[in-house]
Amino acid sequence: MAIIERPAPGTTLVPALAPSAPAITPARTFGALRRPVATTGWKSWLFTVDHKKLGLMYGATALFFFIIGGLEAVLIRLQLAAPEGKVLNADLYNQMFTMHATTMVFLFVMPMAAGFANYFLPLQIGARDVAFPRINAFGFWCLLAGGIVVNLAWFFGGAADGGWFMYAPNSGPVFSPSHGVDFWALGLQIAGIASLTGAINLIVTVLNMRAPGMTLMKMPIFTWMITVVQFLLLFAVPVITVALFLLTFQRSFDAKFFDVAAGADPLLWQHLFWIFGHPEVYILVLPSFGIISEVLPVFSRKPLFGYPFVVFSGAAIGFVGWGVWAHHMFASGLGPVSVAVFSLATMAIAVPTGVKIINWTLTMWGGKLVFTTAMKFAVGLIILFTIGGLSGVTHSVAPSDTQQTDTYYIVAHFHYVLFGGAIFGIFSGFYYWWPKMFGKMLNERLGSWNFWLMVIGMNLTFGPMHILGLQGQPRRMYQWTEARAGEGFFNLGFWNLIASIGSIILTLGVLFFLINIVVTARSKVRAPLDPWNARSLEWMTSNPPKEHNFDSIPHVNHLDEFFHRKYEEDPTTHTMREVATAEQVLAELEKNADAHIHMPSPSYWPIVLAAGMPVVALGVIYSIPVAIVGGLIMLYAIYGWALEPATAPAIDHDESSSNGHNGHAVGASHG
Amino acid sequence: MNHRRSTEPHVTRRFSLSRMRRTPLSRAMVRATTAVGAVVGLGSCATNAAQDTWQPKGPNAKMIDDLQQPIFAVAGIIGIIVFAAVSYAIWRFKDRGQPIPEQTHGKPALEITLTVIPALILAVVGVFTFRVIFDLAKTDDTELVINVTGQQWWWEYDYPAQNEWGITQPIITSGQLVMPVGTKVLLRETSRDVIHSYWIPALNGKRDAVPGRIHTLRLEADEPGIYAGQCTEFCGLSHANMRMEAVALSKEDFATWVANQQAAYQSPAEGTLAKEGESVFLNQCVRCHQVDGLKRPDGSLAIAAPDENVWSGAAPNLTNLMTRNTFAGAMFDLLRDACRDDVWNAESAEFGAKYLAGVDEACLNVNDLRAWLRNAPEVKPMYANPALLADTNGKYRGMPNLGLSESDIDKLVAYLLTLK
Repeated sequence: MAIIERPAPGTTLVPALAPSAPAITPARTFGALRRPVATTGWKSWLFTVDHKKLGLMYGATALFFFIIGGLEAVLIRLQLAAPEGKVLNADLYNQMFTMHATTMVFLFVMPMAAGFANYFLPLQIGARDVAFPRINAFGFWCLLAGGIVVNLAWFFGGAADGGWFMYAPNSGPVFSPSHGVDFWALGLQIAGIASLTGAINLIVTVLNMRAPGMTLMKMPIFTWMITVVQFLLLFAVPVITVALFLLTFQRSFDAKFFDVAAGADPLLWQHLFWIFGHPEVYILVLPSFGIISEVLPVFSRKPLFGYPFVVFSGAAIGFVGWGVWAHHMFASGLGPVSVAVFSLATMAIAVPTGVKIINWTLTMWGGKLVFTTAMKFAVGLIILFTIGGLSGVTHSVAPSDTQQTDTYYIVAHFHYVLFGGAIFGIFSGFYYWWPKMFGKMLNERLGSWNFWLMVIGMNLTFGPMHILGLQGQPRRMYQWTEARAGEGFFNLGFWNLIASIGSIILTLGVLFFLINIVVTARSKVRAPLDPWNARSLEWMTSNPPKEHNFDSIPHVNHLDEFFHRKYEEDPTTHTMREVATAEQVLAELEKNADAHIHMPSPSYWPIVLAAGMPVVALGVIYSIPVAIVGGLIMLYAIYGWALEPATAPAIDHDESSSNGHNGHAVGASHG
Repeated sequence: MNHRRSTEPHVTRRFSLSRMRRTPLSRAMVRATTAVGAVVGLGSCATNAAQDTWQPKGPNAKMIDDLQQPIFAVAGIIGIIVFAAVSYAIWRFKDRGQPIPEQTHGKPALEITLTVIPALILAVVGVFTFRVIFDLAKTDDTELVINVTGQQWWWEYDYPAQNEWGITQPIITSGQLVMPVGTKVLLRETSRDVIHSYWIPALNGKRDAVPGRIHTLRLEADEPGIYAGQCTEFCGLSHANMRMEAVALSKEDFATWVANQQAAYQSPAEGTLAKEGESVFLNQCVRCHQVDGLKRPDGSLAIAAPDENVWSGAAPNLTNLMTRNTFAGAMFDLLRDACRDDVWNAESAEFGAKYLAGVDEACLNVNDLRAWLRNAPEVKPMYANPALLADTNGKYRGMPNLGLSESDIDKLVAYLLTLK
């Protein structure tokens, strides 16, 4: 590890990632590898266990896959812009929509939420890292390995082509003869490890590492929603893990789990998939609910309206979310009793969801609204998610759903929920937290372009799909025919074209975001310490935070602790008046800096362990001996990891009195 | 709510357009309201869309429609309320230099009220939903049973013997489901390979056809006519091309259709092109495609063996092919456009006669039919490439390229025209 920064009074606002590495000779640990010590350069990223660096790596990976998934979507819309489209053939189209969904769900929204969670959850609860830093690093490398494996199939005879839901028996070796589905199942299996280990890690972190005084009901709402999501992941991921194992064994080892001729029932897959798949929807959207539940109060200058209601409605969604999976199967022949029960449960889940919309609206009510880009995206989410939620209610009514399911009406619905909900929340988070992560503010003018192009593009793309679906255009068709498109100026051809034009506008909106990143990175202007007049603990750190986050762990007395350190209520007028600036609050923390700050040490083993997995996957697909090699790599890494002390021995530690701080050598007893 | 500043100075500005222009969000609101209004308005929808879910033509679909219309209305009203509330808050509470408001944490009574109201609305919706779910699941009032089997990428209809309808021996057909009007038809669905879904939006919602299971779906049409549908469970390469139609005929016309389907096979006259086509058919097509009553030159019955050649084990029965309007899983019309429109757009009183006339040489869509016979996988994506058949032990999924000569195709077309 080394590299414990030992802060002293007066050394304020040193960016944690700034170079400050003294020469260190690490002791030899088990195996051939010495402990990594780099604090700068690529090695400091590859072997890091710092939750902030890992959060950024999750974010960068997710953003990369967002671009890939977006390009896949544009190709889909180009194909469907006109009847009998010729941009893609049927085979490629099927791969494209399968991979678009897979990429957006598993490789963009989930890791992006994991990125935000990794970066901000410890900061929001006043912790210096997560409970298991090496496992955290391992999770990230699993995600990256999984994403690569899923996409490798493009170069090995074609990507998965069975839809992201991968219904049996269409996913079997006879009906999908390329290796795409093999890569898909094994890649998601590996990525799933990231979610599962991440879930355990964050749950333990939240339960054990909150700052003194932070009771559960004083926890920032983003942390709350992330916690609910981790519980969902903890119970949902094992289900898809089982399903994916069945699928892999079916395809690679001639198992018969979904083989009708051998007496299997293909509906088994649907139940397994959707028992995972419906909680998954909340896994995707709740982090964004958490983000805008932070952003709306900040830019309304008011606490979140009905905080306990938002917390408990989130938890309620987390519970009821387990009882609605079969609403994806209303047409699959469940029988009327099951259909009725799941129909009712689905209506029930609309209630806590509605509670959130009401609370967000009432948070703005009576506030002092500042329309930054982050706020615009948050308000955009309220409106767009409401549309998605209401169209959701129309197909909670099972008989209506039998008309709507597998049509573009559903495509419209879940894009309003996932684009209007999850992605707008993520973009709100980008603009809100960018100064915290990078010390620079994203350009608000470009942000405005970004927002408006995305709003217009999104509504033009997905709005017409309501009409397309209700007028009978099914999903997952590589071509549509004029014979069924109706007549009149506003025929389905018109709306297909509008949707395609909308997707181009949407792409432009995202392009403005990417341009904004570059412009911001090249800008020399540093962000102020508290650019938004924020409310929660993560803003009680420097921009970006130091490696150890807090010089001293704050004692929490309020929900919105930071705000209440800055403002006090005037007892007569009930208005808030400023009593301290952000700088003063931070200086107070630094004045009481802890003498011993013990940070976890970097490690080679997480990345080595994760690197063994794609080798196993390739071996399962092509040749078992290769899988054994992968297994040996993993075994080596597991032993190395197990025998490596969680923190480096004292000899590795930075005798940092050398750079003038009031350092003490950290005793081995702290290891 | 904390109305700390006077609204007075803004009253005049509230309605001024220049003010609207200044705030991007309110400008967007106007734009969005217009768009939403336009989308909701009927004028923005296609007319005569073949698979419109809001144009029920039978009691089952009507039951669904009667249920969903008020729900759409209520959802729309709630959406407008939320939209209005958010828009008002955006305009009313925008930062105009007002002080930071009181840090109120919520009003439980208001919260509970706003939670209970939607719960009550949904409870009412739930009650009506329950009734329709169980009504649509009824099977004890069935008047006619038709077995429906999906496979990549077409539907087979098998009418079991039902003497009261004059069906004395099973009728097997494909592409178009023919049924009598005003009759409670029960489909018994299954599949021979992957999951498909049977959907005729004008007559009912969809129901998946799952291999190894039998699912039922009620269909009933009020008027004679042709009702379009489409497979709606993703089923592989040609999922988009797996279409179907339900054809509703008056009971008399249905009886005529039944009688014709059961009529004895008529071999073409000796010496005609069609007769030569019959022998091409016997050499090539009969390996997979059955024509009931067709005999080999030695007098033995020609029995198709699709299970030896096709993975799913079946190929469309072509008996009376020209009484149907479509072929290749209803992907292509057997009728030229003008003739097709004549049938599809016929008044319900005239529809039966026009449909029963079938396809004659003048109306035959000879281009698509010839292209299909020339090289089927080229016009419909199918797993028919021998290089990809390792996993299926060499069996095709879909129709392969038979390498027929143009003269063989001439003969076959002439022969197929006799199948009515």
